[in-house]
Amino acid sequence: MPCEHYKDALMELAASGAAPQGQLAVHIAECASCREAFNIEQSLFADIDSRLQVAANAEVPASLLPRVRVALSQVPAPRFNWVRPVVLVSASLVLAFAILLIGRPRRTSPESVARQGSFGPATTTPTTTTNPEKSPLEGVQVAAHAAHSHAARNSTNLHVAASSNPEVLVPPDEREAFARLVAVLNERSDVAAALVAKAPQKDAVVTADPLRIPGIEIKPLEGTETESSDGAGDKR
Amino acid sequence: MQELVLNQPVSAARSELVREAQADARREFEERLAECGPLAFRVARGVLRNTADAEDVAQEALLRAYKSFDRLRDRNRFRAWLVRISFRLALDRLRSAKRREQRDTLWAKPAHQPAPITAEDVAASNQFQAHLDRALEELPEKLRLVLLLSAMDGYTIEEIASMMGVPLGTVKSRIFIARKKLAEKLRCHANTIKMR
Repeated sequence: MPCEHYKDALMELAASGAAPQGQLAVHIAECASCREAFNIEQSLFADIDSRLQVAANAEVPASLLPRVRVALSQVPAPRFNWVRPVVLVSASLVLAFAILLIGRPRRTSPESVARQGSFGPATTTPTTTTNPEKSPLEGVQVAAHAAHSHAARNSTNLHVAASSNPEVLVPPDEREAFARLVAVLNERSDVAAALVAKAPQKDAVVTADPLRIPGIEIKPLEGTETESSDGAGDKR
Repeated sequence: MQELVLNQPVSAARSELVREAQADARREFEERLAECGPLAFRVARGVLRNTADAEDVAQEALLRAYKSFDRLRDRNRFRAWLVRISFRLALDRLRSAKRREQRDTLWAKPAHQPAPITAEDVAASNQFQAHLDRALEELPEKLRLVLLLSAMDGYTIEEIASMMGVPLGTVKSRIFIARKKLAEKLRCHANTIKMR
């Protein structure tokens, strides 16, 4: 029986088929039981290998190839499979067509263009009215910018709409308001002139000078000392 | 009428092309048959340990390979492909033979007794062979196929690696592990190393 310390190393060495080296070689030379165990292990592997070789290198029967040739002659020759390439080509064509459809710029109907156009001013209105603390100039600037960006976004739509002369759809309340405006303009020519007058360019950014406030002189109120001392002013 | 006249030469040319392609494929396959037929047989024989069964399996594997020959894009992989087909077919046959054997053992009386043992050595050798066969069957398929191919004459480890499509180191480690596993299972039957 081999020494416990060298048992695994001996097995590994025999399995690898290499010659012992170094400390293991010295030990095998000194220890008779390990030498014997190593020899037995080597003979075990040799037995396994020889049996495997006998099984793996069995003589091929002479009848094998003629048998296969006869069987091959009875089988129709492998034909080129047309189905797979045809399916691949058609699938790639469909995919290319789908990509073309998706990538093409979309055309919108004139009705939708008109609807979008009618919503334009409505977006600017709340900006100027809901924020009373901001200056009116700031509101004008925002509105101009919004109108500009809206126009840029829908530039293709506007182009399409202009080229096809679409019917402009106006909601009934807006139509009524427009009729009232026309009536007012008929009565007051000055308002009409103001409307027709050339408007300042919308895209130009309106700048305003910073507000200059002269120094404020704060004077003490008369009689504050007497009121504050007895606390009567607060009560009043 | 005119269409018919025009179509006839086209279809004739096409069928001629197909015939030529088929003849080429047949010729190419037959060239490989002489080289790879024995390999298919040996792989099957290594699994089945029976010449007649291995011959049947090799024939079936070669026929299958021929039928699907057009699907093989890389013809250089033909050997590896055939080895796999043979190995799998042989394993299938071995399993079905085992099932049949179990059924026969269960439901029928044994038709004949095994041949009487004449010498103790022969008996021991046969017994060891039976243990080896069982240990081989219990090996994982990857280890078993590599071990089988490495035991065949004429195939270097490099060739086995390229045949299996794995690195050289993988083949070496598989062979080492397979031999070690076999030795572990056969050690007690060989009455070799014992614990101190």
